[in-house]
Amino acid sequence: MTTERQFAQTVAEHKSTIYTVCYMFSQDADEVNDLFQEVLVNLWKGFEGFEHRSDIRTWIYRVALNTCISIDRKKKRRSSEVRLTMDINLFEDRDEDTKQVDMLHKRISKLQPFDRAIVLLWLENLSYEEIGQIVGISTKNVSVRLFRIREQLKQMSND
Amino acid sequence: MNENFELENMRQQMNTLKKKLEQQEIVNDRFIRHSMEKTAGNISRRYYFIMAVCLLMIPYSYWAFVKLNGFSIPFWIFTCITMLVSFGGTFYNSRKLGDSNMMTNNLVDVRRRMASAKKFDANWLLIGIPMAIVFLGWFMYEAYLLHPNAFFNGLFWAGCIGGVLGAIWGFSLHFRTQRQYQEIIDQIEDITAE
Repeated sequence: MTTERQFAQTVAEHKSTIYTVCYMFSQDADEVNDLFQEVLVNLWKGFEGFEHRSDIRTWIYRVALNTCISIDRKKKRRSSEVRLTMDINLFEDRDEDTKQVDMLHKRISKLQPFDRAIVLLWLENLSYEEIGQIVGISTKNVSVRLFRIREQLKQMSND
Repeated sequence: MNENFELENMRQQMNTLKKKLEQQEIVNDRFIRHSMEKTAGNISRRYYFIMAVCLLMIPYSYWAFVKLNGFSIPFWIFTCITMLVSFGGTFYNSRKLGDSNMMTNNLVDVRRRMASAKKFDANWLLIGIPMAIVFLGWFMYEAYLLHPNAFFNGLFWAGCIGGVLGAIWGFSLHFRTQRQYQEIIDQIEDITAE
């Protein structure tokens, strides 16, 4: 199997993970597509060098979160010849499910980018250890931060 | 209690998001087309190289065979015919690649062209191998006529080694080209099957 096909298959398997991260770090449909594109470009750059020493899902989370956190939104949006995205607009669809998703987005987007990353991984049912590995902090630090995030979220719902 | 409810609620919302996204397909048509175009470009470049070698071999073989070693003119003419036939066959197949604009054309049409080019390339061995055997046999005969008492001289061994290396190189190019045609066909089938 060629590298391109392996990559396409890996992206297809983890598309919802990648898109979820991008969605939580975006404010509109264009931004989510730009981020999705940017994450795929970074994944592609590192794909051949990925040595499978860590789980592919962990690696994808790391690349996606690093891209989303570090991207400078003031920069001109990257325009690429090859557009890769999903035919969905979570910012404009108005069905009941999308409203629920939108509530989640609003809550998460109020958090700081780093906390956003941690809560996203926690919502994906990753262990504290895995979260720590991805964002580069200790397991204990993850639990402390998650406690604070929960407090913040609780505060938000009370407001 | 309230806290747990909030978090549980968020997890449910996350699951809803995941379900929505899992139903989506990535719009990857252009990505795959780019990959196909890259592979086709690789085959095209190889074809251009083969065509250039075929044309260069006509004057070179005259100098190397006739002038330098004193081989017969009919042998040189046969070499020229071999090279021109190879040039023609390669040019004919390269046109199928050139006409297939991977980024815009209908993929079913591109697939048909690629399958046809792959088949032509595979069938080419039916012409190429006999031609190479005749060429090598005639080459040995010419060498024998020039040096009947020293059959195991340098020219004979040069012919043998050249023949073996040429066959290995030719077969490796052939199988690589066949594999790349198949990759393009598989990629088109992946897209059109969705």
